[in-house]
Amino acid sequence: MKKTRLVSLVAALGLATASVVAVAPAANAACSGKLKIAYQGPLTGGEAALGINELNGVKFALKKFLAANPKANVDPVVYEVDDQGDPAVAAPIAPKVAAEECVVALVGPAYSGASKVSLPVYLSAGLAVITPSATNPTLPTFGKGIFHRAVLTDDYQGPAAARLIVQNNKKATVFLVNDASDYAVGLQKTVDITLAGRVVGKDVTPTGTTDFSATIAKIKKSKATAVFYSGYFSQAAVFVKQLRDSGSKIVFASGDGTLDNQFVKLARKAAEGALLTAPAIPFETASPALAKEMVAAGWTPGVYTTEAFDSANFFLEAIKAGNTDRASINKYVSTKSSKGLSKTLKFDADGEVSGADVNGFVVKNGKIVLLGAIK
Amino acid sequence: MDFALLRDAFWGLTFDGLALGAIYALISLGYTLVYGVLRLINFAHSEVFMIGTFGALVAASGIMGVKVEDDPRTGGSMILTLVVCLIAAMLASAFTAVAVEFVAYRRLRKRGATKLATLISAIGVSISLVEFFRIITHSLPREFPRIMEKSFLFHFAGADIRNDKVIVIVAAGLMMVALDQFISKSRLGKGIRAVSMDENTATLMGVNINRVITVTFFAGGLMAGAAAFFYILTYENTSFKVGFFLGISAFTAAVLGGIGNLRGALFGGFVLGLMETYTSAVFGTAWKAVISFIILVLVLLIKPTGLFGESITQARV
Repeated sequence: MKKTRLVSLVAALGLATASVVAVAPAANAACSGKLKIAYQGPLTGGEAALGINELNGVKFALKKFLAANPKANVDPVVYEVDDQGDPAVAAPIAPKVAAEECVVALVGPAYSGASKVSLPVYLSAGLAVITPSATNPTLPTFGKGIFHRAVLTDDYQGPAAARLIVQNNKKATVFLVNDASDYAVGLQKTVDITLAGRVVGKDVTPTGTTDFSATIAKIKKSKATAVFYSGYFSQAAVFVKQLRDSGSKIVFASGDGTLDNQFVKLARKAAEGALLTAPAIPFETASPALAKEMVAAGWTPGVYTTEAFDSANFFLEAIKAGNTDRASINKYVSTKSSKGLSKTLKFDADGEVSGADVNGFVVKNGKIVLLGAIK
Repeated sequence: MDFALLRDAFWGLTFDGLALGAIYALISLGYTLVYGVLRLINFAHSEVFMIGTFGALVAASGIMGVKVEDDPRTGGSMILTLVVCLIAAMLASAFTAVAVEFVAYRRLRKRGATKLATLISAIGVSISLVEFFRIITHSLPREFPRIMEKSFLFHFAGADIRNDKVIVIVAAGLMMVALDQFISKSRLGKGIRAVSMDENTATLMGVNINRVITVTFFAGGLMAGAAAFFYILTYENTSFKVGFFLGISAFTAAVLGGIGNLRGALFGGFVLGLMETYTSAVFGTAWKAVISFIILVLVLLIKPTGLFGESITQARV
């Protein structure tokens, strides 16, 4: 018994030492090879569609940069970090990324929950990040100094969504539904506050709900003219289908969790007329020519591709200006500005971008069409 | 709490609850049949259901050539497509159930493994099937084409009665009657009942145990496949994880009615479907599981063998 304990103690100590040795070079060792741009987000699992949209934007930016600057000391392959959008998966991965001395900049993390656990690690490693899509307002407190965000937060999206519903119908009364996720609850709260007296009912349908009969009965009884669904596309599609099959014709509105071509594909005709919002702009709208070039290169743009493309470009501009280590690249993106496709990226002391918009979209003839910035 | 909604929309909610309950009831038959014969909780049964939904999907696009963007079919073509998809789902589930029994349980049984080993084997099969489908579907949900236009048949006491839900309730009822007749009247059905009462005596009387077990899994699979078809016809989408919540609900229904008892499982399925719909309306959908499962616990506290009792040898499978 004693012997076993001793063996496990030695093994544990050995493991601990090994991990310290592995992580140690992160702080100051210089990269001896090519500089790497990392991307972190969900690349497998249920949320992978969004991560792949963003990764494609980063890959395309890198390809364009290397074509224009063939002698640049930058690895042509993006360093991919798959956190599945899950904080539990991100927590053990972040230290490994920080320990890779050649990773000098990171686009991401894509999700707010994964950002919360990753940012403190990157802060201590001095690794600059620009997230193209994590919209939780509290993120600067986790990584102030290295954290930058290329989009507006949920504090802006919720009120904009509320305004879009009212602009669509001045007499609108709204029923609120959310899927009980962190994102959905946070977004619904800001919609609720802005709509104030127009909210005529609420229901929570946790992720995994398949039968919405009772919720739909409530909506009908409330006589609402619109329903705002706060959650993600796969369940939003099931919900809107059942809503339409019940004979209801009220306006369906939702946020960026639903702004995905998969939503239209799954809901089909039931998706027609759906009003959607996002603090993002489609790549095809931002630059039709570049979008064509991107598709020809084998990468399909989607939601947040533009923002990821702009974020990667800012880092690449920093490298082009002669910055080759984490500290100088972080200083460059924190103080300079970059003219992107979506907007000019210029960050304040918290790493938040200014001069950006929340856009409105409508589903028309099976396509998500941009309505423009929500005033 | 919104009791007014329950009062105003009572018949509409009841109708929706029955349609949901019919699906639960069909799945729960598989749990109860296997438990009745082997005293084993077949945890892979939720995946038997999941594979049925994919069977219907493959039949619709592969055999009948239906595309998701097509308009709903009408007349004979619609009926043929519905029947082909139903049969495909039932066969896919039934053969999966038999294969699971063959691979994961039969050998263990022959070697006299403990109940615990068999239970772990069941969980293992369940997880590997879910992960396999997660990989081949790239974790994305799949849409099922609309084969039949959904329309309202009539209006009854404030409730809109929709054609697809009527089909689900009626067809599920017919299948259950057929299964009940099979178990009580046919030779194989009598074999199943004999084994469930006393395995050793049944063997001495010349019942082929392995054959009985295969038939039990096959019958349970057929019912799960039918449930899968009705599910995908109503909700028009599926994914690798579709079996999880439905499986738990159906298993609950089986326990509620008295596991090992066919009519109990049926009753449990309908009761759970109605209970979930009513509690969603009164307390909010988020409270559905809380309230339903508290009722389950209360029922079991008062009647530990379920509403219909576990060991009524006559009514039992």
